[in-house]
Amino acid sequence: MNGRKDHDGPPASQNGGGPAGELGTPPVPVDFALRVLRRVGIPRERYDTYVRMDSPAGGLFVAFTPESVTGSAPATSGLTSERFEESHRARTGRSAIPAVKPFPGLTTALRTGRARKLPLDPGPVDEVTAAVLQAVRAIPAGQLRPLSWIAREASSVSGGNTDALLGVLARNPFVVLVPCHRVTYENGAPCDAAYLPGVGDALRAAEGIDMAGVRQWSHSGAVFLGSDTTHIYCHPTCAHARRITAPHRVPFATARDAHRAGYRACKSCRPVSV
Amino acid sequence: MDKAAEQLTDLLATDLDDGFTELVRVHAKGVHAFLLRVSGSAAEADDLGQDTFLRAYTALRTYAPERRRALRPRAWLMTIAANVWRNHVRSSTRRPVSAIRVDDAQDKWPDVNPGPAERALNADDRGRLVAALSELPEFYRIPVVLRHVVGMSYAEVAQVQGCPVGTAKAQVSRAMGDLRRLLGTEEELREVTP
Repeated sequence: MNGRKDHDGPPASQNGGGPAGELGTPPVPVDFALRVLRRVGIPRERYDTYVRMDSPAGGLFVAFTPESVTGSAPATSGLTSERFEESHRARTGRSAIPAVKPFPGLTTALRTGRARKLPLDPGPVDEVTAAVLQAVRAIPAGQLRPLSWIAREASSVSGGNTDALLGVLARNPFVVLVPCHRVTYENGAPCDAAYLPGVGDALRAAEGIDMAGVRQWSHSGAVFLGSDTTHIYCHPTCAHARRITAPHRVPFATARDAHRAGYRACKSCRPVSV
Repeated sequence: MDKAAEQLTDLLATDLDDGFTELVRVHAKGVHAFLLRVSGSAAEADDLGQDTFLRAYTALRTYAPERRRALRPRAWLMTIAANVWRNHVRSSTRRPVSAIRVDDAQDKWPDVNPGPAERALNADDRGRLVAALSELPEFYRIPVVLRHVVGMSYAEVAQVQGCPVGTAKAQVSRAMGDLRRLLGTEEELREVTP
């Protein structure tokens, strides 16, 4: 700036409304920047676009290239579109330009909670993070898995270290799309590492997970649920466990107990087996 | 110059396409708001905004990296936008298409989360302000919009206008005075014809 006495920032607005002065800031069409870039002829692979979607936990910003989704963040907690653009730039080194049309399949994935087939590109991450995110994505909608399960599924690279695992979950770059709200501690309490309070509960409620039932179950000390007609034991939220009728439910505290009683592990939800 | 602007010019110097994308991301809203307020028409602001960035990109391609690094992006872009607007006014007075200078487009804007400043002013007041703005001569309209809609400092306004800071202050002040006068007369008229 020059040495003269001058108001440096925006003018002190007469109605106290920040940089928008007396005349206000008129709304700009959402895709104006995108149309500028298209008109100028910047190659599409040089930038990401993003949309604001509705999810069960409120607004969700989702950034993507034509090939894959590159990040998502909840629009709650005062995260404005500017802040999202900046954090996306800081994390991936790519500019996020607002667009109107969402990534193909994104609307359906958010409506049903089944985002497993959505191509996600976390960018340059270490292989532990990639393996953990992959394992978390494999948890079906409406089901819960303990941390030890994630550690085992991603064990080829993470070595079963749950502390490192929690760190990865807290930095989840694909909030909601990589369903870390379906991960619990060993006692059944959800570890919403990447979420604000309430967001995880809203997401689980939208998927129809009965958290009161889960809490009651874990208080009773049982971890697995078996069926005395098939002699198979499951995680209690597994689709196969949920259809066992009340008279046939057999709870187990450990896999060893189940094994001793002559039960085998479910091949669908893959609980720990001896 | 703040840190974000510095990062932007660094990016422009090292990788033009990436830097230009960032430039569009950060400044597209400001340029559009400026053009909307000076032209009074959403469609014109859209077209002229695209022209502005096209001209900016063409110019940046011919600049050496040092020159791109020394840029002050916002003032530079607004200079281009003001020139694009002046050229547009000149060519449209020579080849007039329609007599309407301002279509009251602010009623048709999609209502995306009005900010506090927007809400504070009711639509009627804003409509009158925009109408009064369109009655100002063009050489007053540009500085007052830069200062009070885009929110630039007087130094930046002066850079865009190519004049000393004092002149820019005087222009803004006279424009504000004219605006007050325009709105004031309307007030009196209203009292006469209720």
